[in-house]
Amino acid sequence: MSVGEATRQGTLHTGSVLPATEYPTSTVQIFRYSAATWNTHRIHYDKDYAVAEGYPDVLVQSHLHGAFLARYCTDWIGENGRLLELGLRVRRFAIAGETLTVLGTVTAVERLDDAHAAIALELIETRGSDGETCASASARIEIPRDWLASTAADDTADQSGTAA
Amino acid sequence: MAIDEALIEALEAERGVEHVEELGEISAVLIRRYAAAIGETSPLYSDTAYARAQGHADVVAPPNFIAAVINWGPGAPYERLREDGTEADTHLPGVPAKGVRVMGGGEEMTFKRPVVAGTVVTRTTTLADVSERQSSQGPMLVVHYSDQYRDAAGESLLETVRTVLLR
Repeated sequence: MSVGEATRQGTLHTGSVLPATEYPTSTVQIFRYSAATWNTHRIHYDKDYAVAEGYPDVLVQSHLHGAFLARYCTDWIGENGRLLELGLRVRRFAIAGETLTVLGTVTAVERLDDAHAAIALELIETRGSDGETCASASARIEIPRDWLASTAADDTADQSGTAA
Repeated sequence: MAIDEALIEALEAERGVEHVEELGEISAVLIRRYAAAIGETSPLYSDTAYARAQGHADVVAPPNFIAAVINWGPGAPYERLREDGTEADTHLPGVPAKGVRVMGGGEEMTFKRPVVAGTVVTRTTTLADVSERQSSQGPMLVVHYSDQYRDAAGESLLETVRTVLLR
């Protein structure tokens, strides 16, 4: 267990903000992502075509935004838990060369059993050029139960109460 | 064609119809290339010995890999590709090849089991529902597709719900 992981014990609660992580992009990365996913859409590798479509340069693929958001979760968990769900919305384009920054906030915690808990995260991915949101996601992650603050309220009952 | 009764009828006729495709074997090469493309540094996705030490049979695919592949086949001949480089068959049952503007409206993924190199994957695609909505640019259809990815034993690997907007 790394120092970062050890210091998480007893810390997480609804409202906790996770560290921001930067994901640089490049034309080569976008090309390689198209190749790895057999995506022939010219908007991702033909700058002239992208300009004719009204964009300044080739675009980051929707699924590459999704890959950054998934990586943010799996990097943070390490081998301590797992990513259960990820719901992705791409809101604005990002062009090659943008650095994308992902930030996660805990929106709910749920104790599953003696050893495990689940947390809900809201993730926002912004582009460096103007700070606008390119993608957002909601994630559900299984973590060791002892990462939760002892005072963290279990949100399950609150949610069911709201729904009813 | 825009949003009209004929299009809505064609989509409604697809509701609940299962389209099963054999996607083939997820090879370690595909997984390692995808991991390299997204900038992954975890050895879980590239180092077989490390993945085995974590209890997996081989390297594991990054979570959204199988949902991200656009085409599992070789791709259409060049003369059949559209002006934008894409193929007419884009994994959207009920949507005509021409005349409708297709926009992605998001994807919900539920990860059931790790996808390990060597897994043979089958995908079942179903149009779940269609609804009409007024947008600032006129009428729009909101279509939800369900994708079930399973291994050769029928175990669920990944479930997704894709939202597609048609104008």
